[in-house]
Amino acid sequence: MEDNKHLSGIEKIKTSSDHLRGEITESLKDEITGAIREGDQALIKFHGMYQQDNRDRREERAAKKLDRLYSFMIRLRLPGGLISAPQWIAMHHIAGEKSTGVIKITTRQTVQLHGIVKSSIKPTIASFNAAMLDSIATCGDINRNITCTAHPGQSPLHAEIFGYADAISTMLMPKTKAYYEIWLDQEKLVDKKEEADPLYQDRYLPRKFKIGIVIPPNNDIDVLTNDLGLIAITENNELTGFNVAIGGGMSTTHGNAATYARLGTVIGFVPKGDDIMKVIYEIVTVQRDYGNRSDRKLARLKYTVDKVGADWYKTEVEKRSGITIAPAKPYSFTGRHDNYGWAKNHEGKWYYTAYVASGRITDDEDQAIKSALFEVAETGLASFRFSGNQNVIVSDVAEKDKASITAILDKYNVTGYTQSASPLRKNALACVALPTCPLALAEGQRYMPVLLSKIEPLLARYGLEKEPIIMRMTGCPNGCARPGAAEISLVGTAPGRYNLHLGGDRAGTRLNTIYREHLDEQEILGTLDKLFAGYKVDREAAETFGDYALRKHVATV
Amino acid sequence: MLAEPKLTQFLNLLKDASPEDVAWIKGYLAGLTAPAATGAAPVGGVHKVTIAYGTETGNSKRLAADFAARAKKTGIHARVVNLEQYRLTDLPKEEYFLTIISTQGEGEPPESAKKFYDHLHNNGFKLDKLKYSVLALGDTSYPLFCKAGEDIDEQFQRLGGSRIAEIRRCDVEYDDDASQWINTILDKLSTAAAEPVTAGVTAPAAEKKSTGKKSYTGTVISNVDLNDRGSNKATYHIEIAADDVEYEPGDAFGIVPENPVTAVEKILSLSGGTLPDRVITYKNESYTIGDLLRYKLNISHLITPVIKRYADLTGKTITATKYDLPDLLQAHPVKDTEQFVSMLGMLNPIAPRLYTMSSSPAAHGGEVHTIVAKDSFTVDGRTKLGLCSNFLGALPEGTTVNFFVQKNKRFRLPAPERDIIMIGPGTGIAPFRSFLAERDATDAKGRNWLFFGEQHFATDFLYQTELQTWFETGVLTKISLAFSRDQPEKIYVQHRMWEHADELYQWIAGGAHVYLCGKKDPMSTDVEETLLKIIETKGEKTPEAAVDYFQQMKNEGKFSEDVY
Ligand code: SRM
Ligand SMILES: Cc1cc2nc3c(=O)[nH]c(=O)nc-3n(C[C@H](O)[C@H](O)[C@H](O)COP(=O)(O)OP(=O)(O)OC[C@H]3O[C@@H](n4cnc5c(N)ncnc54)[C@H](O)[C@@H]3O)c2cc1C
Ligand SMILES: Cc1cc2nc3c(=O)[nH]c(=O)nc-3n(C[C@H](O)[C@H](O)[C@H](O)COP(=O)(O)O)c2cc1C
Ligand code: SF4
Repeated sequence: MEDNKHLSGIEKIKTSSDHLRGEITESLKDEITGAIREGDQALIKFHGMYQQDNRDRREERAAKKLDRLYSFMIRLRLPGGLISAPQWIAMHHIAGEKSTGVIKITTRQTVQLHGIVKSSIKPTIASFNAAMLDSIATCGDINRNITCTAHPGQSPLHAEIFGYADAISTMLMPKTKAYYEIWLDQEKLVDKKEEADPLYQDRYLPRKFKIGIVIPPNNDIDVLTNDLGLIAITENNELTGFNVAIGGGMSTTHGNAATYARLGTVIGFVPKGDDIMKVIYEIVTVQRDYGNRSDRKLARLKYTVDKVGADWYKTEVEKRSGITIAPAKPYSFTGRHDNYGWAKNHEGKWYYTAYVASGRITDDEDQAIKSALFEVAETGLASFRFSGNQNVIVSDVAEKDKASITAILDKYNVTGYTQSASPLRKNALACVALPTCPLALAEGQRYMPVLLSKIEPLLARYGLEKEPIIMRMTGCPNGCARPGAAEISLVGTAPGRYNLHLGGDRAGTRLNTIYREHLDEQEILGTLDKLFAGYKVDREAAETFGDYALRKHVATV
Repeated sequence: MLAEPKLTQFLNLLKDASPEDVAWIKGYLAGLTAPAATGAAPVGGVHKVTIAYGTETGNSKRLAADFAARAKKTGIHARVVNLEQYRLTDLPKEEYFLTIISTQGEGEPPESAKKFYDHLHNNGFKLDKLKYSVLALGDTSYPLFCKAGEDIDEQFQRLGGSRIAEIRRCDVEYDDDASQWINTILDKLSTAAAEPVTAGVTAPAAEKKSTGKKSYTGTVISNVDLNDRGSNKATYHIEIAADDVEYEPGDAFGIVPENPVTAVEKILSLSGGTLPDRVITYKNESYTIGDLLRYKLNISHLITPVIKRYADLTGKTITATKYDLPDLLQAHPVKDTEQFVSMLGMLNPIAPRLYTMSSSPAAHGGEVHTIVAKDSFTVDGRTKLGLCSNFLGALPEGTTVNFFVQKNKRFRLPAPERDIIMIGPGTGIAPFRSFLAERDATDAKGRNWLFFGEQHFATDFLYQTELQTWFETGVLTKISLAFSRDQPEKIYVQHRMWEHADELYQWIAGGAHVYLCGKKDPMSTDVEETLLKIIETKGEKTPEAAVDYFQQMKNEGKFSEDVY
């Protein structure tokens, strides 16, 4: 294609990588550095790993003539965010022995371990493998972890929906055996035909590809921010199929006007079963063939859709799949909140949704949630599930075991903390950012709790402390905490400085708009104080803060 | 205006030139006319340049390495430095200084180059000697294209530097532009490259005359603990400026430590009231008692004879054989001032300590660098500190120190084309940093293989970044590392040597010189045994023949050690 004349460097790395093998095995042997070779850094992403370094320690180590403190982050593949009790126990031990010890729940319902040194990568993956866990394709230019509504209220459909998450994840897995050869020392393939890959070929996708499946009315996973969003459609509580939305994405780049956040465009309805699977497959192949492979900043599906047009894209998919995409069916979203505390599902099983600040499972002064969940796992009486809001749901608890599980959660103040945390806090998201994220321009999860403690009093001043306003923070405009879809969002521009965006709606169907740029903490608090004051007096009956801000402020920016 | 036929040739050239070609021609012509335009000093006969890079994702670094490689071919030695590591005080000394730097953030320099960038902009110093050029990496999709590079280019100009070529800005596809910039620079530098090497640059070691124990005065310009937080060790890298200093790689730095003030005060408090400024003579020189105790007399780890003499003087029966003076006076006080004064006369002077230098005259002119391990030990339950290592470790930058050079004729680099094998765990790395720097600066062609070991890779890898640069630029041919405590079983350098026995023996059989430096026990004995074992098994020799072979190596100066 026109704009693929000059392929980006990564494209060359992919095609010449012998199906994601590159020189990784040799890289691991380089004694003189804790890092791996340039090209391999792009390849290990496809195996679910990122090379990082502790940015807090750079300057001091440089003075000591020591190289950067390199380590690796591993992201697990958990379609739908489900994990069993034995797997939890394994993960708990691996985190303690091989990583920083913090188990980080991500905004896409999986977990990351940070700080794994080069020599520990293989042992770590081996231990995960023993627990039937892997990190294949959780990063890289390929289909990522598939998200799924986690909310037990929707559970009549859950079994079926999780089934789809799994089936799609399997259908879109790369065929290469590199992961097993490199990390698990399995026999080298003799017959390379075994890994011929009709979907990804040798070039994979132009960019990461994300799929989410939502069960209305709760849009807890922010379905419209995915490259491909599936909205479950039901008739008298039976799943009939999905409305398909394409071209969602949050990321922008400061100072690069060609980049923008976008919500998915609903192109129509497809019945469940083979039809939806075929359509999904071809949506991916069209992006594979038409996506921009020269400029990675413009390579996501959202740019492809705007380039070729949603209708053309739809027709092309129909052509390739031989399936006609029907007009979309009606649906509506009411919110994106997790419903905290105990909830019972249709089979009478119990679910406890616990609030985990920025998804960091570790024992701190608020709650000893890491110990709590480990003890719960050891009883073997529950399984676990992650939500797209970086929280954990203790799942599938039988009526008779509810009391003993509650006792454990009480003992470590999990229940206490979940009850006492403010609605603002419980609906907030923050990305990882410093010190591990190489792209961070400002703090994220380390700073959000501090800032929230300063914002809560402002809300209280105007009696707004009960408002479940959705506020999100990211350390850079890549948008890992989906800031574009928040009522209030802070996007890092430089250390201690953020752009303030306002006016997203509560259900995640409207993007927000930039309101003020490059604010420091004082300016953030000052600005919010004025906004809350105005909201208190000018708000129309039951108007959300996002709607208010749009009406009074950003609409006029 | 060109005259025929030049004009037609020129137009033909342009006719079928691609946009890239035209851009190149433009850049090339700009390059040609640049010096005149910017009043650059005429260049020629250049043999040493510094190429500094500032990078975030490694592109600039790669280009710097390319440059060095291509410069070497044209006989120019390019020292590659990461701006993150660059010592700002060196800048005024630079003559040919090339910078490759990318732009990050919103027109900012890479994090690793911020210190350098700010230094350039903040300080009002002059760089009249500086002849420079900048290669700026960037991305036209950003509003502030190549801003960081441009800033540096202009700032050098302001500070009095002169461009040897115009700045070149590169977009994401930087290869062509970059290699054209490199061509332009190498062109200019190697004009008249035929000129002889100016003395000093690669003056052969032999020509320098021995300086014996001549005493030098220098200033501490840097004192850093190279071990990271969480290490069990503290190893100080100390840089001392002394313009007139003369030494060769392999020599040691000698210094007489001062006694700690606290110890001196304790002694005076046990002196029966002697005034610190009372003047007495010691070995025919007069000092105040205060100075004598602080700078001259050894008061720690008294040797048994001294303790005996003290017993006789005071008429006490003293059984213990190990004493520091304060403890001795505490346990067995003097009768009176006079006894105290005569006791002082019995003490030995403080012995100088030696530290093998880790700097090279060719690379670190006018400076000596040493690496000092903090020594601490326990004597009947109390933790004590080694005198000199802790004196040196505590020296603030700016302190003036007196030192001497301890020649080590038996520890010298061989002819430039010879291969060398360097075995230096812990502080034993010192002379090998000197060797590598010297061989780098003088473009010695021989291969260099280093064996280094310490406790932990993450915290104890002494000189890691410098070794990495030498490895990337090919100066360090091979490096084998043993970090003893990063795995359940202890691994030391001798284990790595054994793992590489075949190759090691090939090097030795091929005439490589083997050097060993560091702690005597148990390291050096273990290493020597391993070497012998390798010679025996890989050289298929009888034990006796192996011993002879090893002895022969020593006689021919092919095995030298500096162990302590
Ligand atoms: C862990 C997580 C944030 C969190 O605190 O939970 C995260 C963390 C990172 N994201 Fe993200 N992203 C995470 C969800 C997202 C989301 C939200 C979502 O998908 O629902 C987005 C916005 C939606 C989208 O994709 O548009 C997102 C958009 C990005 C981007 C921008 C992609 C683009 O279109 O340009 C990058 C940068 C890139 O890919 O070049 C990025 C890159 C990164 C990296 C890997 C930085 C890097 O490339 O080296 C971050 C690792 C930091 C660290 O130290 O852990 N991350 N990232 C989330 C992991 C999700 C998962 O389990 O897979
Ligand atoms: C040629 C040569 C090169 C060297 N190069 C280096 C180098 O590059 N780097 C480096 O770090 N070192 C080097 N050394 C060693 C260095 O010279 C010193 O020996 C070392 O720093 C210890 O000196 P110190 O004054 O700190 O300790 P000292 O005070 O001299 O103590 C040294 C040892 O004496 C014993 N001791 C001292 N006081 C007492 C007491 N009261 N009771 C019992 N025992 C006691 C302890 O075992 C202690 O470890 C080199 C030595 C030589 C000979
Ligand atoms: C976060 C980020 C910000 C950047 N900002 C700029 C910029 O402001 N101006 C520019 O010319 N290039 C900018 N670039 C592009 C880089 O300079 C370009 O990728 C360069 O090749 C990197 O070289 P390096 O690997 O040596 O750092 C930016 C790149 C990144 C990743
Ligand atoms: S938003 Fe930016 S800073 Fe935060 S994790 Fe993602 S990439 Fe890193």
